[in-house]
Amino acid sequence: MEPLSPFELEVARLLVETLHLEDVKPEEIAPEEPLFGEGLGLDSIDALELALAISKTYGFQLRSDDKENRRVFASLRALSQHIEQRRTR
Amino acid sequence: MSRNWARLPERGSPLALWLIRAIALHGGRPVGRALLYPITLYFLATAGAARRNSQRFLRRALGREPGWREVFRHIHCFAATILDRVYFLTGRLDDFQIEIRGGQAILDQVASGRGCILLGSHLGSFEALRGIGSTVRHLPIKILMNVEHNHAVTRLFAALNPALAQAVIAIGRPETLLEVQDSVARGFMVGALGDRVAQDEKTVRCRFFGQETAFPIGPILLAGLMGCPVILCFGLYRGGNRYDVHFEVLAERIALEPRRRQEQLGVWVQRYADRLEYYARLAPYNWFNFYDYWAEDSA
Repeated sequence: MEPLSPFELEVARLLVETLHLEDVKPEEIAPEEPLFGEGLGLDSIDALELALAISKTYGFQLRSDDKENRRVFASLRALSQHIEQRRTR
Repeated sequence: MSRNWARLPERGSPLALWLIRAIALHGGRPVGRALLYPITLYFLATAGAARRNSQRFLRRALGREPGWREVFRHIHCFAATILDRVYFLTGRLDDFQIEIRGGQAILDQVASGRGCILLGSHLGSFEALRGIGSTVRHLPIKILMNVEHNHAVTRLFAALNPALAQAVIAIGRPETLLEVQDSVARGFMVGALGDRVAQDEKTVRCRFFGQETAFPIGPILLAGLMGCPVILCFGLYRGGNRYDVHFEVLAERIALEPRRRQEQLGVWVQRYADRLEYYARLAPYNWFNFYDYWAEDSA
């Protein structure tokens, strides 16, 4: 399996910690796999918790009217790229 | 039948719904109400599962074996509120007697300019308060709704009041709750129904009518994450043209600590279940969950 970039690993850790995914190891998350539904199986509450954690850690809001949301939440890789572009800290 | 109500087909074809609407709007409420009797009889005869689950609920609520008249009354009550939905959603409230109890909680909340969660149920008519709130009082209300589940109903009511249809947040998308968060932050009261579990939703077991069953933790968790109050609301149909709408503050704030979260959520959801039981005993024929609520079939 393809290794995660350092930043992807950081986001994966935030994800696992925020959502208390006890049986998931951050380094084992497949970067291109969907986060919601299939794949990691996250739900809408997880999305909200993740958005709150991202805003606390990286200083920007994920907005619901953001047309990119589908793409942002599509995979760990897409999410990490989005955070890198938008982060203020 | 499983606990999973979402797999039940929504009863009523688009044609039947269109007919109800046409009769309600052009024939008037007396004509619509006269037709409720044959419609109820038809349901009583054909919807075996709904009939059995009505009996199950009434047995608990009344503390004895219900007769067929009581089951008839139960289904009739449900049909009556569906008919009245047409009037509520189009703002035709003049012919109704609507008592509002605890309305100060809502007025205070609106005056504060802060958003909140309006936590309702399938007891009685959530549409009663949604209709009054949005069309008469112009309160900032949005509602979380399972749009996928009842397409026909959604389309019908969207046609009745397009502005109100705009105020629906569809459940089941990753960004659903981000939308809720945005709305609450902008001062909206977001309505959610807390008595049905959607597939894969996180739940907690609560005592309800003397037996444990699963309740969703979503709405309470949501309020906890957003740091907003939870106001309970129950729109009870009292027969004839009378409705009683009750509001109660459940929590000003849901405090959650990471390690005790499930336990803390459980306490609040149980309080919701207790109030739901209280109102369901007050108005048992308003219980509109016609499925195997306590999962007795699989027990």
